[in-house]
Amino acid sequence: MEVLNKKVEVKELFKQMDGKTILDHISFDVYEGEFLSVLGPSGCGKTTLLRILIGLDHQNSGEIYLDGREISKMPSSQREMGIVFQNYALFPNMTVLENVEYALKIKKETAKTAREIARKTLVQIGMEDQLNKKPSQLSGGQQQRVAIARTLALNPKVILLDEPISALDVTNREIMKKELKEIQRKFKATMIYITHDQEEAFFLSDRIMVMSEGTIEQIDVPTEIYQHPANQYIQEFVVDHLNQKYASLCKCTGRAYEE
Amino acid sequence: MKNRSYSALKVLVLCFLVVSVLLPLLSLFTHMTFEDMQKVVANDGFSTMLINSVSLTLASTLISVLLAFVLAWMINRSHIRYKAMFSLLFTLPMLIPSISHGMGLVLLFGDNGLFTNWTGINLHIYGAVGIILGSVLYSFPVAFLMLTDIFKYEDYTIYESAEVLGLSKWQQFTQITLSNLKRPLVSVVFAVFTMIFTDYGVPLVVGGKVTTLPVYMYREVVGLLNYSKGAVIGVVLLLPAFIAFILDLKNNTTVSNSTVVKPYQVSVNKKRDTLCYIVCILVVSCVCLPILTFMFLSVVKQYPNDLSFSLDNIIEAMQLGVDNYLLNSLAIAMCTALLGTCISYLTAYMTARSKRTFSTMVLHLISMLSLAIPGIVLGLSYVLFFKGSLIYGTLAILIVVNTIHFFASPYLLAYNSLTQFNANFEDVAQSLGISKLRMLKDVYLPSTMDTIVEMYSYMFVNSMMTISAVSFLASFKNMPLALLIPQFDSQSLIEATAFISIVILAVNVILKVLIYLIKKYVIAKEYH
Repeated sequence: MEVLNKKVEVKELFKQMDGKTILDHISFDVYEGEFLSVLGPSGCGKTTLLRILIGLDHQNSGEIYLDGREISKMPSSQREMGIVFQNYALFPNMTVLENVEYALKIKKETAKTAREIARKTLVQIGMEDQLNKKPSQLSGGQQQRVAIARTLALNPKVILLDEPISALDVTNREIMKKELKEIQRKFKATMIYITHDQEEAFFLSDRIMVMSEGTIEQIDVPTEIYQHPANQYIQEFVVDHLNQKYASLCKCTGRAYEE
Repeated sequence: MKNRSYSALKVLVLCFLVVSVLLPLLSLFTHMTFEDMQKVVANDGFSTMLINSVSLTLASTLISVLLAFVLAWMINRSHIRYKAMFSLLFTLPMLIPSISHGMGLVLLFGDNGLFTNWTGINLHIYGAVGIILGSVLYSFPVAFLMLTDIFKYEDYTIYESAEVLGLSKWQQFTQITLSNLKRPLVSVVFAVFTMIFTDYGVPLVVGGKVTTLPVYMYREVVGLLNYSKGAVIGVVLLLPAFIAFILDLKNNTTVSNSTVVKPYQVSVNKKRDTLCYIVCILVVSCVCLPILTFMFLSVVKQYPNDLSFSLDNIIEAMQLGVDNYLLNSLAIAMCTALLGTCISYLTAYMTARSKRTFSTMVLHLISMLSLAIPGIVLGLSYVLFFKGSLIYGTLAILIVVNTIHFFASPYLLAYNSLTQFNANFEDVAQSLGISKLRMLKDVYLPSTMDTIVEMYSYMFVNSMMTISAVSFLASFKNMPLALLIPQFDSQSLIEATAFISIVILAVNVILKVLIYLIKKYVIAKEYH
C-alpha cells in the first residue's frame, strides 16, 4: 500500500458561539486525493467546521495545517482552498464562462489565460454547450456544475463542498453523485464533503467522519463504520438507518433481504 | 484585507447621515423655548387649528385609502382592459405639487372657477370641503400603489381551499382578503395620514378661513420669520409621524415574505367589469380635469373675459422668470437624484449585504427615521442648523435637504432588491479575495440597474414637485419652480400658476418616459 500524505491536519479545533460549544476540541487528518465526508445531523457543527477550515469563521483555539504549513490565521483568500455551496452562488449578471473567468481574473490571471483555463475546465465538466448562458437559464444541476468548475479552475489544494447536491431533485441528485465521483477521479482533487445523508456519504467517500454535537464519533472507511460501529450513536444513526432503508426497499420489491 | 476603502466609505456615509439627519433634528429641539411653547399653546386659535388638522386629515385619509382600495381591487380583481393605462393615469397626481391640486380646485370650483362660471353653481370649495378634496387627490395614488403591490402578491391557493370548504365570495373577501390586508393597511393608513397631516400646499390655497397647523407654521416662518415658534409647531407635526414610524417599524418586522404559490385567478363577471369601467373612468376624469384646466388656462388670452387662444400668459410667465426657476428645479432634481441614489444605494448595500453590526443598525435606523420627518419640519431644522454656513442659500442645501427628505423609499427599494441575492455571495467573495467595493461594482450594480433607475426616477420626480422641505430654505436666488406657485397665488397670478403646474408635469412625464425607454431598451438588452 502506498504511503498517504497528510494534506490537511486539524488539531484540537474549538469553537464557541453565544456560550454554546459548537466544536469541542476536534482533531483529524485528511489525506492527499482523498474524498472525506463529514456526516452528521443538522446542528452537529459540520458546517461551522467547514467555514472555519476555509477561513469564513474563526476558531477560538486549535490549529489547521495545509501541506504542513499552518493556515489557522490566514485570510480566506490565501488558504488555497475552494468552496462550493448548496445554493451555487453564481453571479447572476455573468454568463457561465464569465463566472469562471472572473474568479481566475481575481486571482491575477491575464484575460487570455483566464479564458483558456475557464473554457478548458467547463469542457471537462461537460458544460461546453452552455458557455454563454446566464445562470438563470440553467437547471440546478447545471448551475452546480458551473460552481464546481469555478472552484476547480483555480486549482485549489482542497475543495470543500457544503451539501452541494441536496437542493437538487432525486433524479438529478443521483446523476450528480456519480459525476462528483468522476470529477474527483479526473482532477485527483482532495475533497471534504459535508452531508447529512448517510447513503450519499457511503456512496461517495473514501472515508467518513461522523459527527454529533461538536465531536467526532468515528472516522474510518465506510465498510469499517458499517461493520464495526464505534458506539451506540453510530449504530443507530448510520447502521440501523441504512439497514432499515434497505429492508424496506426489499419488502416493497419482494427481493430477499439478507441480514 | 482590501476592504479599507469600504470601511472609509462607511464612515463617510455615516457622518453624512448624522450631519444631515440627526444634528438638524437635534437643533430643532434645542431651539424650542418654554416661552414659545406656552405662547403657541395659549394662542386661542391653536386648539382649533389642531382640531382642524386632525379631523380633516382623518376624514381625508379615510376617503383616500377607501378610494385607493376600491381602485386597487378593481385593477387587480377584474377583467377590465387598459389596466396599465388606468394605473398610470391614477398616479398622474403624484407628478405635480400638492399645491397644484389645491389650485386645480380653485380654478374649477372657486368663486371665479371654470365650473362655477359655466354652470352658475358655486360649490363653496374654500374650507373643509376643498381641503379634503385636494388632500384626497394628492394622496390616493400613493395608497393605490401600496395596495396594488399587496393585491398582486396574494396567493390564490387559499381562495381555492375556501372554495372547496364552501365559503361564499363575500365570506372569502372579509375573511381572507381583508384579514390579509389588515397589517399592510395599517402601514398605508399611516403613510397617507402623515402625508396629509403635514402638507401645507392644499390648505394654503383652498383652506379659506380654515387654518391647519402646517399652514400656521408656514405663515409663522415664511411670513413672520418666527423660527422658534415654528420649531414648536414643527415638533407637534413631528409627533404623529414619529408615533406612526415606531408602530410601523414594529408592524413591519413581523411580516413574513410568503411566496406566492399561485397568482389570483379572476372569475368571469360582466356586471362587475362594467362597474369597474365606470368607476375607473370617473376617477381618471377627476384626475385629468384639473390638468386639462391648467392647460386651458395657460393658453387663453384672458380668463374669463377673453377665451381666445394666445401665448400671452406663457410669455408673461417667462418674463417673471419661470425659465430661470425651471433651470434651478432641473439642477436640483438632477443633483438630488444623483446624490440621493448614490448614497441611499450605498447605505442599502452596507446594511443589506453585511453582517449586522452596531454601525449597520445605526445606518438602517437613520435611513428609516428620515421617513418620519415631515418635509417642512426637516426644512425648518435645516434653517436652524445650517444658517450662516457655507451652503446656506445655495442650491447645495436644497439638494441635501431633498436627498434626506426622499431618502427612505429609494433606500428601501435598494435594500429589498439587494437582500434578494444569494446569501453566500459574500462567502464566495471572501474565499476568492474579492473586495466589498469590487463586488458592488462587478456584481450588484450591474444586477440591479432596474432598481437604480427606479430610485433615480423617484428622487427626480419628487424633487421636481416638492414644496415642503425646500420652502423655508429657498431664497430668491436658488428657488425651485414649484415654490413660485404659492408666491404667484398670493399675487393673484392665477394663469401663471396653471402654467407652472403644466411645466412641472411635463418635465416629470418626460423623465418617466425616458426611464421607461432606458429600462426597456438599454437595461433589458445589456443585462438580462
